[in-house]
Amino acid sequence: MGTQVKDVIIKPDAPSLLILDKHADYIAAYGSKKDDYEYTLSEFLRMSGIYWGLTVMDLMDQLPRMNRDEIIDFIKACQHECGGMSASIGHDPHLLYTLSAVQILCLYDSVDAIDVDKVVEYVKGLQQEDGSFAGDKWGEIDTRFSFCAVATLSLLGKMDKMNVDKAVEFVLSCMNFDGGFGCRPGSESHAGQIYCCTGFLSLTGQLHQVNADLLGWWLCERQLSSGGLNGRPEKLPDVCYSWWVLASLKIIGRIDWIDKAKLRRFILACQDEETGGFADRPGDMVDPFHTLFGIAGLSLLGDEQIKPVNPVLCMPEDVLQRAGVQPDILS
Amino acid sequence: MHGRLKIKSTAQQEEEKRKEREKKLKIYVAARDACFDKRKNGILDDEALQLTQQLLSSNPDFATLWNYRREILMHQETVKDEDEVQKLYEAELSFLESCLKANPKSYGCWHHRCWVSARLPRPNWARELSLCDLCLSVDDRNFHCWDYRRLVVKMSGVPVDQELEFTDRLIGSNFSNYSSWHYRSTLLPLLHPESPEAPSPCLKAPETSPPPSPQTQSHRVCEEQLLKEYELVQNAFFTDPNDQSAWFYYRWLLGRAERDEMISCVFISREDERVAVAFSRPVNAQTIGLLLVLDGQPQRVEWRSVHPRFKFCPVWICDLPHGTISDITNEHNLTVHWTEKPTHKDCALYTGRAESYCRDSATDQELFRSELSVEKTSVLQSELQTCNQLQEMEPLNKWCLLTIILLMRALDPLGYEKETLNHFKTLREVDSMRSAYYSDLCSKFMIENTIMKMEYAEVRVFSISDKNLTTLCHLDQLLLVTHINLSSNQLQRLPPQFAMLQCLEVLEANNNSIENLEGLYRLPKLEEVLLKNNKISTVADLKPLASCPKLKRLDLCGNPVTQITNIGSELAELLPSVTDLLL
Repeated sequence: MGTQVKDVIIKPDAPSLLILDKHADYIAAYGSKKDDYEYTLSEFLRMSGIYWGLTVMDLMDQLPRMNRDEIIDFIKACQHECGGMSASIGHDPHLLYTLSAVQILCLYDSVDAIDVDKVVEYVKGLQQEDGSFAGDKWGEIDTRFSFCAVATLSLLGKMDKMNVDKAVEFVLSCMNFDGGFGCRPGSESHAGQIYCCTGFLSLTGQLHQVNADLLGWWLCERQLSSGGLNGRPEKLPDVCYSWWVLASLKIIGRIDWIDKAKLRRFILACQDEETGGFADRPGDMVDPFHTLFGIAGLSLLGDEQIKPVNPVLCMPEDVLQRAGVQPDILS
Repeated sequence: MHGRLKIKSTAQQEEEKRKEREKKLKIYVAARDACFDKRKNGILDDEALQLTQQLLSSNPDFATLWNYRREILMHQETVKDEDEVQKLYEAELSFLESCLKANPKSYGCWHHRCWVSARLPRPNWARELSLCDLCLSVDDRNFHCWDYRRLVVKMSGVPVDQELEFTDRLIGSNFSNYSSWHYRSTLLPLLHPESPEAPSPCLKAPETSPPPSPQTQSHRVCEEQLLKEYELVQNAFFTDPNDQSAWFYYRWLLGRAERDEMISCVFISREDERVAVAFSRPVNAQTIGLLLVLDGQPQRVEWRSVHPRFKFCPVWICDLPHGTISDITNEHNLTVHWTEKPTHKDCALYTGRAESYCRDSATDQELFRSELSVEKTSVLQSELQTCNQLQEMEPLNKWCLLTIILLMRALDPLGYEKETLNHFKTLREVDSMRSAYYSDLCSKFMIENTIMKMEYAEVRVFSISDKNLTTLCHLDQLLLVTHINLSSNQLQRLPPQFAMLQCLEVLEANNNSIENLEGLYRLPKLEEVLLKNNKISTVADLKPLASCPKLKRLDLCGNPVTQITNIGSELAELLPSVTDLLL
């Protein structure tokens, strides 16, 4: 009973050149169909959606095409009394959208548009006794939220406001036999969580705690014959996992362990030549989420038409320089 | 949007779809606004439950609506009696079941189920466990369900061995199940811990135990169980040699216990009036309560890591107060205390001696090879035979090849060196996407072998030329090395970690591709640096050398930097101590 290897085949006529103009047009047009059913359905994650769109525009040096004032007004309206930010107006605040909002404001050098002290209070208030972070007041615990918390506070220069030692202890308790990390202690390793946890350890100056050789092996084994990377063993490749695995490898200083040319070919094949944008896999529907991670992946692979991206915060390096944030990377 | 195939459609189809979507949008927006209005007005009634149910059925990631439902349910708790509340929450669980059937990977649904289960007046954990069984029988990799299962197991005190049997069953029906192997890796150390402490009989409730973690609990398994486990994995990879799950698990089984935290080496130099201390893992010596006592007197010293890039580092240095040990006719006794652990290391500097050290070598500590028990040796030998048989049948199976290398290293790393190198060569060919990984791993193993050879020979010379090295590692083990020969390899840099070679006098690294010398930083004894035929291209690349006070001889022949006009005078200015410059 041989296991079938799950992978995709890249057709010979798949896109192989980067069509940046089309991607910029796709993102610029995306926000204009606000009355669309599908668009409305995704309002529960709007703030992150805006972060994906604006970041990819900035990486392509097209940020001025977006409506800055409208976006900053929207963000202001999404800050709640407790300090947290919601995905849309009328929705409840959550760490996921608090980070996205702060990231967007950093792109615009406008962090002061919101009440920063209250954001800090909100983030701090979600830390639990064991060092973990709840995503909101309803208590879901996940290492993703540990990342959101330290990323938000480090962008605001307020990391000292939380209990860093305890937070580190919790994240390390989620380390597994394969060197990877899961959502909670005992949870299976997953590329998305590994990205969050290595990013977290980078921001807290604790990367020496990672077993980089073991984790790097697991990560480089995510690359399939198509060149794409999956998020866990025996899963299909996906542009967003390509980013999470690639960024994690970069953070732990092992990016050379995958075949970069093959990954580039896979990412390029996920472009839609008609509409612009990237899909999860060749031939699927595009969306802003995969468009950001496609472009960011190409940037980490060294494409010079794109601005250098920071592997920890998935933001343009020049933005982080302005914000004075320089996360660690293992050498 | 994951896995949604793009389908071409005609203009008419598009128009029909557009109309349909418009209709759906109207219904959706009306329901959403009705929900938000009710919530704004503080209404927590049955109708609100129905409205949110309608919306969440099609859009389970709308987190705010789950929050609203929780507010309503909590309110109902205060106005209903226990039986009614029980019924209410049971209805919630069946609603969630239908949501999970449609969206088995929705974070919001699973979190809400955790929340409801915790609030149910009379929870039925057995039913929750069978729900997990059912869900995992549909998709045995659904990590949300696995996490929920772990919660149920913890809340209801399911014994560890019962869960281990569950993984036996899943693995028995399908070896290719990484999630089950992972679960096993968390259960085995609980049931059969390496340390002699009593095994814990069940996964305790949260209030009595912290989660098992690398900090609170060893991840290793006792030898007896380990040997049984090898057999199970062997069955798996013989059934399907290309399934990676079992191979990953096997590598974990072959792994080593984590090192104890200790001071592994103390070195004193009389001339430099300096102490270097090596630890078994990277530490921040400024915060771990390090105390240096010289001849019974605690000294106030400032610890610094070997390179400003490191806040955590295995090697730390301090300067002793001027004149304390400089008189060669005096004998001194030094102790470094790690007060937090607590542990310490003594080192005596005798009359007439310029330097002294005290250490536990890599060989003593069994870092790279262990003394195996007779039983383990014979089991590993037979494992190696089995893998060799498998490899004969499947000569290009990379998993098998890599495992053979690991078994050889566990059994006799020096004796199998030649075979190991051959297998790495094959690995690079059959799995070319990861050739850089195999090169780095091979470099690591060759460095380990060379360290062992150096220690058996009781010398302070580390020579590893012409071995296709692509990376340097274990440099903390080379603290006492005075001569290093890295010539004719494929190194691109001397990384900051290289500054841990605090005793280094001569560096030979000819014929590599070195372009970065960051690690040649404040090496107090370094006199000779031979870098013929490398890729050093600018004077700035050589800047770190200016921090090495004793540098006399520098060979840069065959580097691009020698083509720069006036290079001689520029280098004379940058490196005034160098008297013998070869360009």
